Amino acid sequence: MALLEIRHMTHYFGGLRAVHDYNLDIEPGQVRGLIGPNGAGKTTIFNLITGIHRPGEGRILLDGEELVGRQPHEIAARGLGRTFQDLRLWRHMTVLDHVKMARYSKIGYGLVGAFFSTPRRNREEAQIEEKARELLEMMNISHLADQMVPNLPYGAQRRVEMARALSTEPKILFLDEPTAGMNPEELIQMMGIIRRVREQLGLAIFLIEHRLKMVMELCEIIQTLVFGEVIAEGPPDDIKNNPAVIEAYLGKEIVE
Amino acid sequence: MVFFFQNLVNALQWGSFYAMIALGYSMVYSILMLFNFAHGDIFMVGAYIGFGVATALVTLSASGFLALPGWMILVLTILLSMFLTSFVGMIVERVGYRPLRDAPRASAAITGLMIGIMLETGNLILLGARRVSFPPLIESVTYNVGGVFVTNKKIMIVLISLGFMLALHLFVQKTRYGMAMRAMAFDYVVVPLLGIPINTIARLTFAIGSALAAVAGILFGLAYPVLDPYMGIVFGWKAFVAAILGGRGSIMGATLAGFLMGFIEIFVAMVFPSTLRDLIAYSIILLILVFRPHGFFGEPYSARLRL
Amino acid sequence: MVEMNDAHAMKTKGARGRLRRFFSGIPVLGWLLGALVAVVLEHYLGDPLVDRIGLDKIPVLFGAVIILKKPLMIPGAAVFLLLIYVIPIAVVARAGKTLSNRLAGALMRFPIAVPALVHLGLLYGAIHIWSDVSAYRVLTLKLTFVAIMLTLSLNVINGYMGEFSCSHPGFMALGAYGASVFTVLLFSSDRLFGDPLLPEALGPFLFPAGLIFGGLIASLGALVIAIPSFRTRGDYLAIISLAFLFIVKSMIENLEFVGGPRGLSGQPNYANLPTVFIWTVLCVWIINNFVRSTLGKALNAVRDDEVAADAMTVNTRRTKMVAFMFAAFWAGVAGGIYAHVLRYVNPGTFGIQKLAEVLAMVYFGGLNSVYGSITGAVSLSLLSEALRPLEIFKWIIIPLLLILVMIYRPTGLIAFREFDVRKVMQPKSNRDDEV
Repeated sequence: MALLEIRHMTHYFGGLRAVHDYNLDIEPGQVRGLIGPNGAGKTTIFNLITGIHRPGEGRILLDGEELVGRQPHEIAARGLGRTFQDLRLWRHMTVLDHVKMARYSKIGYGLVGAFFSTPRRNREEAQIEEKARELLEMMNISHLADQMVPNLPYGAQRRVEMARALSTEPKILFLDEPTAGMNPEELIQMMGIIRRVREQLGLAIFLIEHRLKMVMELCEIIQTLVFGEVIAEGPPDDIKNNPAVIEAYLGKEIVE
Repeated sequence: MVFFFQNLVNALQWGSFYAMIALGYSMVYSILMLFNFAHGDIFMVGAYIGFGVATALVTLSASGFLALPGWMILVLTILLSMFLTSFVGMIVERVGYRPLRDAPRASAAITGLMIGIMLETGNLILLGARRVSFPPLIESVTYNVGGVFVTNKKIMIVLISLGFMLALHLFVQKTRYGMAMRAMAFDYVVVPLLGIPINTIARLTFAIGSALAAVAGILFGLAYPVLDPYMGIVFGWKAFVAAILGGRGSIMGATLAGFLMGFIEIFVAMVFPSTLRDLIAYSIILLILVFRPHGFFGEPYSARLRL
Repeated sequence: MVEMNDAHAMKTKGARGRLRRFFSGIPVLGWLLGALVAVVLEHYLGDPLVDRIGLDKIPVLFGAVIILKKPLMIPGAAVFLLLIYVIPIAVVARAGKTLSNRLAGALMRFPIAVPALVHLGLLYGAIHIWSDVSAYRVLTLKLTFVAIMLTLSLNVINGYMGEFSCSHPGFMALGAYGASVFTVLLFSSDRLFGDPLLPEALGPFLFPAGLIFGGLIASLGALVIAIPSFRTRGDYLAIISLAFLFIVKSMIENLEFVGGPRGLSGQPNYANLPTVFIWTVLCVWIINNFVRSTLGKALNAVRDDEVAADAMTVNTRRTKMVAFMFAAFWAGVAGGIYAHVLRYVNPGTFGIQKLAEVLAMVYFGGLNSVYGSITGAVSLSLLSEALRPLEIFKWIIIPLLLILVMIYRPTGLIAFREFDVRKVMQPKSNRDDEV
């Protein structure tokens, strides 16, 4: 049984069919990619899996456990970490607080600890901070720990978001266009980070990307989505040579 | 049944006041995404300006210098007061809102509240704590329609209000400025493309909203001729609730919700003791909002809102 | 950071810079000792000094009344303020700098509670002696403390969580009536409730229970707003909270057993200055603990981006629920204390005017900041008292001031700053105090 199993997921927005009969298997440690033209429903699939929208039909199983109908925070706490295409950082919080916040579900001191500053709370907060600093170290942004995020350059903000997602201790990391808007130098760094994350933490990664070069290099299996339907699935070389994919998607971008 | 229709007439009149004030809130909201919390007090100022103008005209008329019939005085009062009160609105916009256009919305809410307090206090300083009474202007005639008593004033109030609402609707739909307003409600960026500066639109919006509040103030003075500096609080907050209930930024919604507010209040008072009026009216509103959290015509809630 | 501050201090030229450098490096402990000396001086030498310089009594609120009402006495008041407050505080703080720094350093070696209690003890001592001069000062202080609790608790919702809640006076009313009914029913003979049910001697000991009871009622009331907040935010929630305020007020007006619109009186005199002070400290301590914990910072995450918060395992519903109920609890406690300070409440108190007042304090002081709320509550309460002689013109000046603050500092004077007790109490090296 795969780590994450999605069967026959279909979803409509109003009368509009956004996703149709979507299936997915992710094994532990696997890197998978999801490509497709704009508006194909890639982000919608992320939102459906992570619980922001509830799929109209279908099942989503993580370790054999049904995720459909759960709150997003429960799904996240069970091991689906994610980043957002449009960043979604918290603009009045420091970098360190971002990463600490993502450990919310692991806080055990409860309200009593929060109100009265009990020894247990202080101990736990110290642990949370230590873990958070380790992640910042891993992302090479520990020197920015006390900065507010809007003051940071774009590449650094992406790293903060990555650190934050990792801080939830995911089994699978969902990356929604992690290199959107990056310059070539930042892009290469980000690819290095993704590789490192995978090697050091042994995570499975599910990647939405626009830049095909990156997907082809990183992913083991790639799905191509057009109008909410998967039209091709396979290793990068197959996808590269699949006529349907070339027609629907690569046609204009293969020149790149 | 007669009793019901009697209350229906009252509710229509009562609702006209709310609707007229709610329109002011709603217009400013749709354009600046801000609530003008001073609007209730602008209504109060409008009523007082109307009182001043009407008294002056009545005195002038009585002195024989310029003998005008009552309806003429009323028309002049409405027009002059609209003109004068629109300046109050424009000043409020310039002082309290323009500097805060990009600030957190709550800050602008505080400024509005504070301007409201200043308007009330200013009134107290100028006129003292006594209540003033609005000159009658037109003679009251009561018609008996199958047992329901309708005064000519009530009919007039409802008709004048509806007239102004229709005029506003036409203005927003048909004129270039109205179009710019709608465009601005949609998106800030396109407005300069229409060749109209944003500041002009904002000022105009406040001016129109205030002018409508002045009309509401005068009509209120005709129906209930006792004015006091805090009348804006009672009416303003209820009209504000109506504006939201209608769906923020929706003119149609604000009008309907204004009337609904009047209906709820009058009919609650019809069935229950009047001390329970606020309790039940607000409970109904609370329930409406709990089950329909974006009002009648508002767009649904998105988690991404400005602080 | 330290070097930068030093460089900054060197650069500030002129009298202000020199003054600032002269007084730099004095720990809070030093200022507290100075204040203590000043109030002791006032206590023993105030009356003789007043006779000598031709004032009729000790200027009760730093001479505000005199400045506004009796300009002829301004020189006398100035001399008094200089001799009693300014010079003693300055001299003691500056001269005792080394000593107070060493003392503060020594205190910090104990567990944090020890220096905290020492500081609070000194603060309370100064306040107590200062308030001994007149009953008016006592009342002003008590109401200021109530204002701090209210402002801080409203900041939890409006600042830390970023909702615009208008229901705070409603929570306050629930708490005020809850606590009042508790104490009046149990401990005082009243025409509404009859003879006391428990011996009066127990009263002061059960007063905290009464306040907590009031706070819990307010918390329950907060559910009315917390639950809709799962589905809606911003303006609609503001209206729901506003409707809630009107409903509470109207409900109390219609409840005859608590006196209806006439109000409820006969609260026993339990809210003395130390009690109010202790509750305020408790409130500040607990709220500050909460907002500095990761659990509490979830409020900020929900405010800044709810979707992201949810995706980062933050239970947003629980967070909202806790924030509303927690804030309402403290508003309720503040209301209970308020009722026992005035020993009378009526529903008219808890209307739009109170709302404007609390909102003003929150936004004036600064959002998302314990410092800010304390500053806002204290400065507006004292300002409001100081401007009392202006009568109605006060309500032109205060709003004007707030508008200016909103224009030039839209998030308030001291927004988004953490209140770190340890840092506050630390001894200061000889460098410029952080601005």
